[in-house]
Amino acid sequence: MRMSLKVNGQAIETEISPISRLSGFLRDVLGLTGVKEGCCEGECGACTVLLDGQPVDSCLMLAFQATGREITTIEGLCGSGVNDLQQAFLKMGAVQCGYCTPGMVLAAEGLLHANPSPGEAEIRHALAGNICRCTGFETIVQAVATAAAARQGAER
Amino acid sequence: MNQISRRVPLVDGVAKVTGALRFTADLHVEGSLHGALVLSPRAHARVASIDATAALAVEGVHAVFWHENTPSRYYNSSIWFAGQEALADERMFPPVVRHIGDRVAAVVAETEEIARHAARLVVVEYVDLPAIFDPEAALVHAGPVMRDDGIPAFMNPVADESFTHGDLDAGFAAADLVVETHVTMPRSHHCAIEPHACIAKPEPDGRILILSPCQSVFAVQAVVVQALGVPQDQIRVVKTPIGGSFGGKAEPILDPLCAFFALALGRPVMIRYDRHETFTATRTRSSVVGRMRIALSSDGRILARDTETLVDIGAYCTGGNYLPSSMLQRLVRLYDVPAERYTGRAVYTNTVPAGAFRGYGSPQIHTIAEITLDISARRLGVDPVEMRLRNLIEPNAIEPWQGLNVGNARGRECLIRGADAFGWQGRRRADAGRGRWRRGAGVASATHINGCYPGFHEETTATLRLLPDGRAELVCALHDLGCGADTTLAQIAGETLGLRACDIAIVPADTDSCPYDLGTRASRMTYICGEAIRRAGIALAEAIRAAAVLELNTEASGLRLEAGAVRRPDGSGLALSDLAARLAARGEELPAATEIYRAQANPGSYAAHFAEVEVDRLTGRVRVTDYLAAHDVGRAINPMLVEGQIHGGIQIGIGYALYEDVAIDRVTGRMRGDSFSRYTLVNASEMPPMRVLLIEEGEPTGPFGAKAVGEIATIPVAAAVVNAVNDALGTELTDLPLVPERILAAVS
Ligand code: FES
Ligand code: FES
Repeated sequence: MRMSLKVNGQAIETEISPISRLSGFLRDVLGLTGVKEGCCEGECGACTVLLDGQPVDSCLMLAFQATGREITTIEGLCGSGVNDLQQAFLKMGAVQCGYCTPGMVLAAEGLLHANPSPGEAEIRHALAGNICRCTGFETIVQAVATAAAARQGAER
Repeated sequence: MNQISRRVPLVDGVAKVTGALRFTADLHVEGSLHGALVLSPRAHARVASIDATAALAVEGVHAVFWHENTPSRYYNSSIWFAGQEALADERMFPPVVRHIGDRVAAVVAETEEIARHAARLVVVEYVDLPAIFDPEAALVHAGPVMRDDGIPAFMNPVADESFTHGDLDAGFAAADLVVETHVTMPRSHHCAIEPHACIAKPEPDGRILILSPCQSVFAVQAVVVQALGVPQDQIRVVKTPIGGSFGGKAEPILDPLCAFFALALGRPVMIRYDRHETFTATRTRSSVVGRMRIALSSDGRILARDTETLVDIGAYCTGGNYLPSSMLQRLVRLYDVPAERYTGRAVYTNTVPAGAFRGYGSPQIHTIAEITLDISARRLGVDPVEMRLRNLIEPNAIEPWQGLNVGNARGRECLIRGADAFGWQGRRRADAGRGRWRRGAGVASATHINGCYPGFHEETTATLRLLPDGRAELVCALHDLGCGADTTLAQIAGETLGLRACDIAIVPADTDSCPYDLGTRASRMTYICGEAIRRAGIALAEAIRAAAVLELNTEASGLRLEAGAVRRPDGSGLALSDLAARLAARGEELPAATEIYRAQANPGSYAAHFAEVEVDRLTGRVRVTDYLAAHDVGRAINPMLVEGQIHGGIQIGIGYALYEDVAIDRVTGRMRGDSFSRYTLVNASEMPPMRVLLIEEGEPTGPFGAKAVGEIATIPVAAAVVNAVNDALGTELTDLPLVPERILAAVS
């Protein structure tokens, strides 16, 4: 079937199989391998993308369900550059193997979009669907809090 | 010091946060085919027949492989060099499957989708055989592990290790208290978020290139050579970035298959497991049943200890025969025990094979010992921290099993300073509460090794070479598993050369271009590879100074390397890139240095962990509410990465204590925890606040005083948490994990 959607700011029209997963479509058809797959059952969050600004598990969606919507993957967050949140991840050691990182960063962006100054418990709650097996989440939570505070400060 | 003790961000960090880093499944290899496996639904069965007709009829299917059309050679997936003696009992596709998830057949097709679809069409007829799921029952199935004709017999035990030291009877006779425990440890799974994947690619010269997220390219090569029976130089292995391993990717599982399929079909072949396959068809931590009898004096001194362990290694040996002795090695380096007896046996069962997992037996044995010690302390009325302090091994003690010096062992400082920072006294004395919620505090100590000395080839070769742009290239077969080893080691190299970590270009581990190394295992990266690199760096610095003498018209001894330049005492000098350009202009080779470092010691790393828990007596849920980890790391090359290792180790350890168990059914052999929805992982909300205290007293044999931290970080956690729960409830729980049903059974 044909579908049109926007991915990382670009309008795309394409032929897709009605049974292909959104994560598979983004990875295999569009080559956006920053979208990771860790379980394909909505349990790990490695495949998180932003759908109209909201974090979703792209492995749980069929590609055609994104018709007419706007998707942001890690590749579309800041081009080849690194934004303040990604910078905070690097500086605070919130990245180890990096496999969960794209999904984690996008989940955090989704949170900060909805709630620009989350408390620690809110951050932890928002990231509860994203599993990191390396970091114990401590530095991830710190990085998100730091980026949130800096963004709030910059706005004032 | 410009690089040591610095919180340097990961050298490959930008590629990770931008998603640009390509893991194996992200690689696009031109013309690649995809494989999918048929895994056994039976726990022990003869594969009577396989009908691949329907699968082969699917458009896009290239081949179906099973035991009749693949090499029938036996191999052992845990070997780490060619020719290593090991019990070879595994086959690419066995004619008799030995566990649910064992490999029956594989389909190779144009796409993964087609391969997976066709794999479901392969018709297999099984004839069931009696299966054993219980390690105690497995002991009865006794006999030699190998038949005379070299065919594995799968009899037990696979290993039987015993050790006695001192006068056990006298110790028990003099005891004021004898405590006996029976501790059971579950099978936990690594759960690296990247599932297993591998690519093999035929090269124009007839060789096979394997791209593998592995812990040692040389181990992959050795295993593939053993499985396929091809000459070693026909197999080249290059390490790809790895999305977490924790030991789960230490053994090549898909590599022999991919290599054979690529060889047979003349096309690149990729296989990637899904999560369910990663659970059922790779490796787990071995489950262990431990019995400990401990003799104590009234003031809390250990007089004698008698330990028995039974290790369930699953369907294939892999490295499981080493587990009983590994556990012994770690047990005897923590406390000064005058009389010790240890018996450890490993047995096959018809369950998924066990393999390496962060700590390699250490979490199991220290959990057994530390829970036992805590129960003893309570029965004696001695404070658990005090009791540990009375028994801890001293710096430079000689452990009784291998006679190794434990080095600058600072377990004592970990306990004293950790207890102080945690507020141990106050918390332990605090009332547990009366109602639904009970609070408790627990402590556990641990030790772990640094490298494989005095075992196999504990040496490595590092080469550092000045590059034309003034940076330096490092060749040392390094396998960063995502813990930041590349960054740490680049800091060490940078420190010796007046460069930054990001100025060190690390050549990825490659069997063609790197000298042999054991790989990432046994907590050896920083301690062993780091020391080789430090020495190579010093030698390169020397060579650079010598090369600069002519250019700077001064004596080498007055020159120093600093901020990417070689400088005279007055600060004037030459950028390394300029020096390189001038040397090149003169037709001279750029300075390089190679050092072969052979380890002479195996000191211990030490730790003490403190946990506070809250137990809900109504639901049986345990919540870890606060955590402090004190670690004797010698010196933290990168404190941020060291803390990161400890945080991650605590997370895995809390899971080990409270939730994680693949839960193999004792009747059917089926794994219940075979997906993320049925295997509970600790998430961000469940993690407690964590504090880390680093004890940096320096280990004389380590690079800049450093010792290992990666594995030990997870070792004391489960015991600290269980001890806290026992404190909260006044129980003596010893069966892990402490799932709600177990808590409820204990309080009712
Ligand atoms: S891959 Fe989508 S949630 Fe795990
Ligand atoms: S950094 Fe490895 S899974 Fe998060």
